Parts: sequence; C-alpha cells; structure tokens
Amino acid sequence: MSRMTKVTLGAAAMLMAGTALAMAADQTISWIYCGDTIDPIHQKYIKEWEGKNPGWSVKPELVGWDQCQDKATTLAVAGNPVAMAYVGSRTLKQFAENDLIVPVPMTDDEKKTYYPNIVDTVTFQDTQWGIPIAFSTKALYWNKDLFKAAGLDPETPPKTWAEEIADAKQIKEKTGIAGYGLPAKTFDNTMHQFMHWVYTNNGKVTDGDKITLDSPEVLAALKAYKDITPYSVEGATAYEQNEIRAIFLDGKVGMIQAGSGAANLLKKTKINWGVAPLPLGPSAKGPGTLLITDSLAIFKGTGVEGKATEFAKFITSPGPQGEYELQGGAGLTPLRPSPKVDEFVKADPTWKPFIDGIAYGGPEPLFKDYKGFQNVMIEMVQSVVTGAAEPEAALKKAAADLEQYK
Amino acid sequence: MNASRSAAIFAWMLLAPALIYVIAIVAYPLVDTIILSFTDTALKKTVNWVGWDNYVRIFKSGFDVIILRTVVWTFFSVSIKMIIGVLGATLLNAAVPGRAIFRVLTMPPWIVPMAIGIFMWGWMYNGQFGMISGLLQRFGLVDGPVAFLAYGSTAFWATIFTDVWIGVPLVTLYMLAAIQSIPKDLYEAAWVDGASRLYRLRRITLPLIAPSLITISMISLISTFNSFDIIWILTRGGPSGETTTMIIDTYKTAFGSYKYGEGSARVVLVAMCLSVFCFFYFRIVNKLAATQER
Repeated sequence: MSRMTKVTLGAAAMLMAGTALAMAADQTISWIYCGDTIDPIHQKYIKEWEGKNPGWSVKPELVGWDQCQDKATTLAVAGNPVAMAYVGSRTLKQFAENDLIVPVPMTDDEKKTYYPNIVDTVTFQDTQWGIPIAFSTKALYWNKDLFKAAGLDPETPPKTWAEEIADAKQIKEKTGIAGYGLPAKTFDNTMHQFMHWVYTNNGKVTDGDKITLDSPEVLAALKAYKDITPYSVEGATAYEQNEIRAIFLDGKVGMIQAGSGAANLLKKTKINWGVAPLPLGPSAKGPGTLLITDSLAIFKGTGVEGKATEFAKFITSPGPQGEYELQGGAGLTPLRPSPKVDEFVKADPTWKPFIDGIAYGGPEPLFKDYKGFQNVMIEMVQSVVTGAAEPEAALKKAAADLEQYK
Repeated sequence: MNASRSAAIFAWMLLAPALIYVIAIVAYPLVDTIILSFTDTALKKTVNWVGWDNYVRIFKSGFDVIILRTVVWTFFSVSIKMIIGVLGATLLNAAVPGRAIFRVLTMPPWIVPMAIGIFMWGWMYNGQFGMISGLLQRFGLVDGPVAFLAYGSTAFWATIFTDVWIGVPLVTLYMLAAIQSIPKDLYEAAWVDGASRLYRLRRITLPLIAPSLITISMISLISTFNSFDIIWILTRGGPSGETTTMIIDTYKTAFGSYKYGEGSARVVLVAMCLSVFCFFYFRIVNKLAATQER
C-alpha cells in the first residue's frame, strides 16, 4: 500500500469517525414551546438534562399561544412532527385516535404524586397520552364594596348557586351594577366557564364513551345560567373570560369566576376584593372546578420518542415542576401536593380556594373532535343566555349533537 | 415553415414565465383543492376517496343559510362602500379650500394596520368601556350599556360597518382618479349648453366613470366576500353563528376541526360563488366596451 493510499484511507476513516461523532452530537429533541419566552426554570433544567445526557440536546421553539397547537398539529399531519409539544390536554384523544402521538404511561407511584383527578385529564383508554405541565382552576372573586353597597355582608361570599343568584340580583337591583360576570362569547372559555358550574354540581359530560350531558345535574347548571343572566353584565355573548375580568378590575361587576392570575392583577388596584371556592349546586358532593391542564405530548415518527418521553418526565417531575409552578405570578395551580405548596398557600392564602376545588373537580372531556364538542357547548350556552332556547331543549339538542364528536 | 415554427417557439418562450407562474400559483393549488374536496383528509394518516359526501354533508349542515348570509353581508358592505366612495370622490374633486387636507383625512382607515383598526372598533362596540355605548348613554338615548357584538342583528351590522370603514378609502381614491381623468371641456360644453349639476353628473360623470366603478366594485366584492379578519377578530362568527360567513365557516372546518377534505369542499364552493360574480362582471365589461366602440 502506497503512502498516498494510506493517507487517503486514514483521512477517510477520520472523516467517517468525525461524521459519526457529529451525528451522535446531533441527536435533538425538538420542542414546540408556547409563549413569548422560555421560562428560566425550564432553561435551567434543559441544561441540567443535557449535561446528564451527552450527545443529546433539547431545542425549544417558541410559538405564540394562538398558533402553538396548530403548528404542532400541522407538522405532525404533514409527516414532519416535532418530538414534543406543549398542547392542551383536551386534544390528546384527537391526537391519539389519529395515531399522531405515543402513549406516555404513568406508574402508580407517579400517579399518586398528583392531586386527585389530575391524571384523568390526560387519560384515555386506560393509559396516559401526555404529561401535565400546566394547570389551572377557578374560584369566585367578589367585590366587597359592591356587596356592602347592596346591603350584603361584604365578608360573606355566596356558598351555593341559590345564594350566588340572590346576591347577584340584590347587587343589580340595589346598585344598578351587574351582579355577576357571565362570559358567553364565541370563545373556548365560554365552555370552560360553564363546565365549572357542571363540576360544582357533580355533573358530567361523558362517562367513558357515553354522552351523559343530558342529566339532571347539567340541566340544573344550565337553568342556573338562565336565572343569573338577568343580573349579569349586559350582553354576555359579547364577552369572553378575560374581558369579563377587565370589567371586574374596573369595579363594574359584583362577582366573577376567574383563575389565580386575577388575584395578581387585583393586588394592583384599589378594589376591595375577596376570593372563595366556587359556589355549589344542589347535587354537589364538595368543592369543585374544571381542571384544565396543558401537557407535553410526544409525537410519533421522530425516532426519538423514548428519549423525548424521558426528558418530558424529567422536566415535569416534582422538583423542576414545583419550581416552575410556584415561582409566583405565573398563575398556575400546583399539580402536586407538597410541603412547599403548603408553605406557598400559607404565605398567600388567596391560593387556598384554587386548591380546595380540585377534590371534586373534573377534566375537560376528551373528544375525538374537540372543537366540535366546544362549538356545541358554546351554542348551547348562547342559546340559553340569549333566550333563544329553554335549558331543557338546548341540553337535549346539545347532547344529541355531541354524539358525532365522541 | 421554419420561420413560423421558430416564431411559435419564441412566442411560447415569452409566455412561459407567466404560464409557469399561473400553473404553480393558481392552477396546481386549485386542482389539488378540488381533489382534496372529494377525500376525507383529516388528522388521520389514511386518506379515502369519499365522492360527493363532503358536499352532501355541507348542505345538510345548513350551509345554504351561511351562503345567503355571506351574500347579504357582501351586498350591503360593497353597496355602502360604493355609495360613500363615489360621493366622497365627488366632494374631494370639488374646488373647495383645503381640498388636499380632506384628501389626506380619508386615508387613516387604510393606513392603520387592519388588525389594529379592527381591535379599535372592537373596543368602540364594547358595552362597558366602548365610546359608542358611552355616548348613547350620555345623550340619554339608552338606559344602560349596549354591547353591540352581543346580539346577532347588531353584531352583523357592526361587522359590516367596520368593513365599510376599512374599504371606503380605496374606493374613494380609485373613483377620484377616475373622475379626474374626465376631460374638463366636456363639463364646460355642458355648462355652456345650460346643463344642471345633476344632469352633468348623470350624463357625463357617471357614464365615464362606469368602467372604473365596475372594476372597483368587482375588486371590492371579491375581497369583501373573502373578508376574514374583521369578523374573526370581532365576533369569531358568533353570537350563535349569526356572523358566520362562508370563509369563517371554512376556516373553522379546515383549521379548527382539522377536516381538510370538508374544508376544501367549502373552498371550492366559495370559488364557485366568486366565479359566478366574475362571469357577470366580464359580461358587463364586454358590453360596456362594445357600447363605447359603437
């Protein structure tokens, strides 16, 4: 073998080894990350995980909230999925049924770490399809000054729907200001807000594959909606949840259902406010709320599903997740109980109602066409709020319409 | 023979860029959409040919009501834009002091980014914080806050009004240019003959701006028919679907529910509706051209 040939072969071998090394270092987990910035806590733990997993890197791609879900979906459908995406847990069934994501089963020990009912938000066909990363619950905010002006005890919020409707009526009649803020715009949180009433009356939309919407519990919720509408902000169908919150922040409504983020905003105002668990319906077994989670879903066909699952479990494990959700101001309800959460609630008692409601809370129902479900619910609520339909008829129609989406 | 062949090749070479452009940008997506409309393409990985099923499902789901609503919405929006545009152009053409300032003042709705303008109107229609409701209350015309986007009838007109606000400047400027292109001696001759202002408008201005009026009507009609941003930002097609037009419904189906096949069928129907409008437009334009040649 000539010297020239040896040099050539040596160079080729070095080139191949270099390429192999480069390929090994090139293993990336792409992550569609919703929002404007990557949370510093996540940045910290991404670095930590990469340090423990040489040759692997995590590449978050920031996508605005409005396009986030659509981008992950479109890429997956086009056959170019990202490894992992931040998605609303409500869409997991749709993804799973269309073979776009892989299951992410949790062990019993993992399940036990969460508050009750949280794992249900990502469970379908007895397995988990995502790992919860963000969680929100709602509580009742009331304006103490408006309560006082209406002759109500400003320190006693309503505990039942009957009291809530009566208080709203009294505020409206005595002050001329809306007693309650009922959002009913063509917007996803119109359905969310109604689901809080369903879960504070032991109601359910589905039971397995069966639609159970047309039940006495849900009917009672819809009737309560009808009853409270005359004392609510005029033109409910013009407002979504955050627009109603803006009216509350302006002191122009007596009570609203809102998340923990409202407390942070209210602290910057001169409004004299309080926050309490959501009032209960006649069939309630205890404090309830809709449990809304966002999850990390692992997409199929990337070749890195296993490692992406490993990373997703790491970043949502009690340590990193606890740090992420308890940093304050994020408006996230903690996913797991812990001594740190207890300290957090002790330091800021306004958090208590948001955690109390979890006990009898329920998940966003999983449908194979989630938007179809959402539209049916919005249509039902709007028809009752505008007086276009009676609760019984609207409920029956909605229950029948939902069959096609389950 | 050779000369004519090379001339033909040369002609095709000249046409080629335009042809490639039309095939890539118009023909291919259109054909692909038509094919897609006969499939059940959705999130799932398999695609089946479903024949006319998507079209049948569309019409069974009350799409005829949406078509009618779209036509009514478009008719009122375009008509109002044309009336205000022609009147505005006539006034802006008048020899009044400060004419240039008035011309500039017509521009803001067009200059302001569309989304910002729509959000601004969204706030104006707001019952609690909105200017319109506030003024109505201050003048004692209403008892309490009025949320214009809360009710089907008011939301429908509110979206039309916003579309008119955005669309009028283009029509006005286009018509102003058309009016300014009319030879002044025609008016002078008519004036010498004792023609009144109305007579001059009817017999000189309107006939001479007719081709421009028809062209801008067509442009406005197509953009209004496909108007998405205004309705989506203000109402998302609500309340209770009362402002859902064909394009909103198509978006909800294709990108909300990820039913790409059914969404494509809706797109084909939108294209068919616009083709009918275009057909009548070209007939009118040809008729006008023939009249002018005579």
